[in-house]
Amino acid sequence: MSIHTKTAIEAIKRSPFQAVSAIFVLALTFFVATTVSILVYSSSKALSYFETRPQIISFLKSETGSDAITALQNKLALDARVKDVKYVPKEEALEIYKKATEDNPLLAELVSPSIFPASLEFSVTDLKLAEEVINEIKNEAIVEQVGFTANIGGEKSLSDVVSRLKTISYYLRVGGIVFVGALAITSFLVLLVIISMRMTSRKGEIEILSLIGATPAFIRSPIVLEGVFYSLIGVISGWTLSFIFWLYVSPSLLSYFGSIPVLPKEPLSFFLLFAAILGTEIVIGFTIAITGSLIAVKRSLKKAR
Amino acid sequence: MITFDNVTKSFGSIKALEGISLEVKNGEFVFLTGPSGAGKSTVLKMILREVLPDSGKVLFEGKNVAEITTKEVPFLRQQMGIVFQDFKVLFERTVAENVEVALAVSDVAQDEWEKRVKHVLKLVGLSNRAKLFPSQLSGGELQRVSLARALVINPKLILADEPTGNLDWKTAEGIMDLLEKINKEGKTVIMATHHEGIIKNSKHRVIELKDGRIIEN
Repeated sequence: MSIHTKTAIEAIKRSPFQAVSAIFVLALTFFVATTVSILVYSSSKALSYFETRPQIISFLKSETGSDAITALQNKLALDARVKDVKYVPKEEALEIYKKATEDNPLLAELVSPSIFPASLEFSVTDLKLAEEVINEIKNEAIVEQVGFTANIGGEKSLSDVVSRLKTISYYLRVGGIVFVGALAITSFLVLLVIISMRMTSRKGEIEILSLIGATPAFIRSPIVLEGVFYSLIGVISGWTLSFIFWLYVSPSLLSYFGSIPVLPKEPLSFFLLFAAILGTEIVIGFTIAITGSLIAVKRSLKKAR
Repeated sequence: MITFDNVTKSFGSIKALEGISLEVKNGEFVFLTGPSGAGKSTVLKMILREVLPDSGKVLFEGKNVAEITTKEVPFLRQQMGIVFQDFKVLFERTVAENVEVALAVSDVAQDEWEKRVKHVLKLVGLSNRAKLFPSQLSGGELQRVSLARALVINPKLILADEPTGNLDWKTAEGIMDLLEKINKEGKTVIMATHHEGIIKNSKHRVIELKDGRIIEN
């Protein structure tokens, strides 16, 4: 173990309450940061889901022949604004209905395939084009009606859904950044105060070290290391707490949101998402620790001179 | 090794040094003596570049100490071993660790530490005190720790500022014997003291200061 690591560990042991305060504030900051990151991820995933999934369903008139259907399907497939065109025949529509009503088989028995219209489902490459495409498809002779599969909170059109999600996503991002930013500043200031206190308590030692030829880097190394320890422990604690929280709530969330991928369903992707957040937080934590420690050391050494 | 050329230093209206010129050669043992406030410590502080002269030059191995940049100061000090009247040991570290700090500061490879610490503690007679903390040592032993820390980096020059000032006569003699031994090994020693008994018992060069001036060299 290097002399600096040893000195830093001894300093932490000598003032455990200062260490606990710093770690607690940093852990809280990174717990909130991880949680907000996941919320932002979920909202953006939901937004992108509604923006890109095949939401437009054009129900076809019951007497439409297969040639006309194929012609419209090909026309849509060639349209650059349209993607993922899928033909859903009456039988498949009934199957979808049966699946959706499997809790109540009587409902399925009461209907026959003839009452379900065949449909052409597709999505658009850009949501801005949706209304334009919908208006065009409405004018097709074989199209009876056009609808959306997305409908939350009583919104009548796809743009209402997306605009609502965009608002939620925006407030989550802005609110999250402001909250996490305020906590990060608090952590930074707490570190600054604690390191300054440490410098004051080590004043005699610093004077001796300086007289026997210690470089400023030698003097500040254990202090910066101490800040890095606090930060690392704070990041890992905050992240772990948030990870456990999300691990606990994810089954309920995934089941509640159904096909909307608010969280990764694959365990590996779930862990990778959290690993990416941890990596980013470690970098931010180190930056806070190193900057805070260096500023505190610089100020204290300036005063000592 | 050390040259003072017409050096003057004032602290406000107090003249600490006035036109001091002196030279200390390699391997010499020099006493700086004089009453309190004569300027002994200021001379040592100037060699350490803790204090800069108002005028004149202080040369260490031909280099003007005042012209050394702040970044170079640690490297200048690493060439000197310093012994203080108030010991200036680190009370939260053991005797061995206090000595190790000097090695760490001078960037000596860690695998050499044990051998060098053992050797120097044996030299100052503290081999059996290596694991003790300074609070468990006597004044004489603390001064030996300070001396061991100064010697372990194998410096060219030892600066001792009243190293016997806080010690009884017998302990002071022990410290003097050690400094003599170090000097015989070829190191230059500059020792500030107002302990007349020590100066009388020794045959080394004496520079006497009074009110910032040399009155005897």
